[in-house]
Amino acid sequence: MKKIVLTTALLAGVLAHAGGFRVSLQGVKQLAMAHTSAHAEDASVTFFNPAGMSFIPSKLSVAAGGFGAKSIVTYQNSSTLQSYETNNPLGTPVYAAIAYKVLDNVSIGFNLSTPFGSTIEWPADWAGREIVQRLELKAFYFQPMISFKLAPWASVGGSYIYAKGSVNWDKAVTQPGATLNLTDDKASGSGFGVGFYFQPDEKWDISVAYRSPIDMEAKNGKVSFDISPALYPSLGLDAAGTDSFKATLPLVSEYTVGVTYKVTPKWLVSADFNYSGWDRYSQLTLDFANAPIGNQPNDPTVLVSPKNFKSTQTWRVGTQYKINDMIAARAGYYYDQSPYTDENFQAETPSFDSNIITAGLGFNLAKGFGVDVAGAIAFPKSREVKNSFNNFFGQAKAKAYYFGLGLSYNVF
Amino acid sequence: MKKILISTIAVSALFFTISCETDFDTDVSSIQVTNGEANFSKYVSLGNSLTSGFSNNALYIDGQNDSYPNIMAQQMKLAGGGAFVQPLMADNNGGLVLGGTVIQATKLYIKSFTNGAPDILNINATPTTNVATKITGSLNNMGIPGAKSFHLVTPGYGNIAGVSTGTANPYYVRFSSSATSRVLDDAIAQKPTFYSLWIGNNDVLSYATTGGMGTDQKGNTNPATYGPNDISDPAVVAGSIQTILETFKMSGATKGVIANIPSVTSIPYFTTVPYNPLTPAALGANLSVLNASLYTPLKQALTAFGAGNRINLLSSTSTNPVLIKDVSLTNLSAELTLALTPSLGAATAAAFGQIYGQARQSTGGDYILLPTKSVIGSTVSGAPASINVYGISYPLENQHVLTAAEAAKVKAAVDAYNASIKSLADSYGLAFVDANAKMNELNGLSGIQFDGVKYTAKFVTGGTFSLDGVHLTGRGYAIVANEFLKMINQKYKSTLPMVEVNRYQGVTFPK
Repeated sequence: MKKIVLTTALLAGVLAHAGGFRVSLQGVKQLAMAHTSAHAEDASVTFFNPAGMSFIPSKLSVAAGGFGAKSIVTYQNSSTLQSYETNNPLGTPVYAAIAYKVLDNVSIGFNLSTPFGSTIEWPADWAGREIVQRLELKAFYFQPMISFKLAPWASVGGSYIYAKGSVNWDKAVTQPGATLNLTDDKASGSGFGVGFYFQPDEKWDISVAYRSPIDMEAKNGKVSFDISPALYPSLGLDAAGTDSFKATLPLVSEYTVGVTYKVTPKWLVSADFNYSGWDRYSQLTLDFANAPIGNQPNDPTVLVSPKNFKSTQTWRVGTQYKINDMIAARAGYYYDQSPYTDENFQAETPSFDSNIITAGLGFNLAKGFGVDVAGAIAFPKSREVKNSFNNFFGQAKAKAYYFGLGLSYNVF
Repeated sequence: MKKILISTIAVSALFFTISCETDFDTDVSSIQVTNGEANFSKYVSLGNSLTSGFSNNALYIDGQNDSYPNIMAQQMKLAGGGAFVQPLMADNNGGLVLGGTVIQATKLYIKSFTNGAPDILNINATPTTNVATKITGSLNNMGIPGAKSFHLVTPGYGNIAGVSTGTANPYYVRFSSSATSRVLDDAIAQKPTFYSLWIGNNDVLSYATTGGMGTDQKGNTNPATYGPNDISDPAVVAGSIQTILETFKMSGATKGVIANIPSVTSIPYFTTVPYNPLTPAALGANLSVLNASLYTPLKQALTAFGAGNRINLLSSTSTNPVLIKDVSLTNLSAELTLALTPSLGAATAAAFGQIYGQARQSTGGDYILLPTKSVIGSTVSGAPASINVYGISYPLENQHVLTAAEAAKVKAAVDAYNASIKSLADSYGLAFVDANAKMNELNGLSGIQFDGVKYTAKFVTGGTFSLDGVHLTGRGYAIVANEFLKMINQKYKSTLPMVEVNRYQGVTFPK
């Protein structure tokens, strides 16, 4: 019986992620339980809440993991009866964390993660090629942090976030029969995180955390045109057909409240609420140095695209059952909102309201050394595409699967 | 354990429920395209250059493949439509040869850019399409470049002997069934089950593109007496179209689509060159010289005859209008000669009087024609050296400008044609395309956007008009085709899909 249950869990065991270009893949153990936050078992808690470090049951803990994320988006237009499907490469978010108690009540830690990113690759000749052919977004978060245990049952922590990112965007310029590429791999920004973590008794874990928004500034991006050189002068391009641009991409804030309740010593249940401040992403402004390819009447080198994102809520529930001292089985479910309406559908960052089912197993191999596997499958709801800014209409649907392998070691 | 089992079942149930919402309500691959009340098995298109796929001032294979009837026919094939055969040209350069003589030039292309402006030339090639080579067999596209409404119902329009005298059309000669046949009869002989008709543009266009060189034939219902650049009488246009519709109806072809005429002045041929292109920077030091030696004395003389408003002094701060000859103005040659003789001497004064007798500066109501761009600033041979610069010191000729008065005649004719076309569409129960409204939308500030690509009626950069400023690009024809398809679907309850405009040929830029 047990085996059957486990097999079912594993089959369902592929995963999914969140709105816009936020990727909820920062802890394999957490992912298996719907990516809930109130788990202070090892250093992977550092991403979710720096204050959680104070409750890791060892002096030194390290954790690392990686994921594979596969998604397919399909667009169709019932007016032209054409249909196109993405050929996205496998996404591979990673994380690594370390937490160390320098004093009984002071912990320091460091977390590296990739909380934002997305690679979407449409067929080069698809209907929306003027908007995007391929877009790769990536952001690494480097977070040193500190946590203080205020009382045996409460801690507070904070982190500094240095973010480094890259963008690589191909799209068609249909009128002159050309393509262009926007690239910048030196975008950066900084922010912070704060959190409180409580263990009022042995049954409860409560995590309250906030991560600030970060403006990723691309100060010296490069736009390259594959276009007739005869047009270089009128586009303000240099002899290589390039120009520079500036842009700011907002990475959004996140409020998280998470609770874990141990129903029995073997069985726990967790729940999370996230609020993501996507409403900051109201527009994307590309400011070109010379190229008059914008849409602003008073400055033709500035291209403003409305995004009109709205803030989202995510509800997560997860559970873990310790089958024995060695093996823990985990499962979870969450509902993830898309940060925009059909009228603001973005072909370069397609997003859907999604139901996501997660599952995983944890293996406690030796004293303090754990191996976790997790998977999730997303059920994005198909949606209408009614973007009148681009005059882009149709329907979109998606599939997404995720799997992860994580290691944790509570050294001593 | 029980609990886990129960939750597994619950999760499975959830899994099932939500998986249903993930798919499209209707997958496009499962949509069956239907013909509704129409029968597309034999579609025949009738019209002029726009219907033939004329582009870049020529007819050539690629352009024909992007003709709106051919675009539509490909969609009709999804709903029982048959093959669509066009009288394809022999090459992709365009142009015609008759008896060893080139009678139509090759297509235009952009050779390069100079200071951001395109250098537009004819492709350097000899046309290989021989008018005398007859195309036989079934044909679906009867779009004939240059045809006016009445030409479609005129016998002998396809007689090779009439090409040189202008009574026949070389494009129709290529496939006319006989020297006395009518285009309409050849179309009927195809036994169409569905037809499209877009005709009447040339009944006014050649008048407009020649700057009003012809005559407005309003009231003259005998087209045999018309010159090539005249405006056809609205009754002639309406009568010709009615004859066509009636003949189709009698042959059993009762279903089709008809389009009205875009106001010709919304196309780049008329809107590209502003009425006031003379910047102070371009005029330079000449500006004050011109004012002192020409504009001031001219204005004084004209003022004396009550026509001082024809000329204003050149401004050194804003752009200036060009000098044009307006044949509708009272000719003040004699008066000017007389007035200027004391200061200039009889001979020069006579020349001035002759040149400026009907001269005025252009105004916002005048349309400077596209080819006039290269005329402005050029030297007029035979004119006195001090006043021999076109548009600046020497008036542009009648054929360079469609004046406001001429444009009004054009508009009146188009309005009358369109009123007839609409009422004929209604009385014959045909689908009706308001091409005029679509062209005005294209000519508007925001243009027409398709899948992120913005199209306007702007020359070269707008993407819809080819380099001749009159005919469309493949993308322009695709926009037209979508409009036709939409109205056909509306009228006949068919479900022909729209086409992706961006897939068709736009303006080709140099490599």
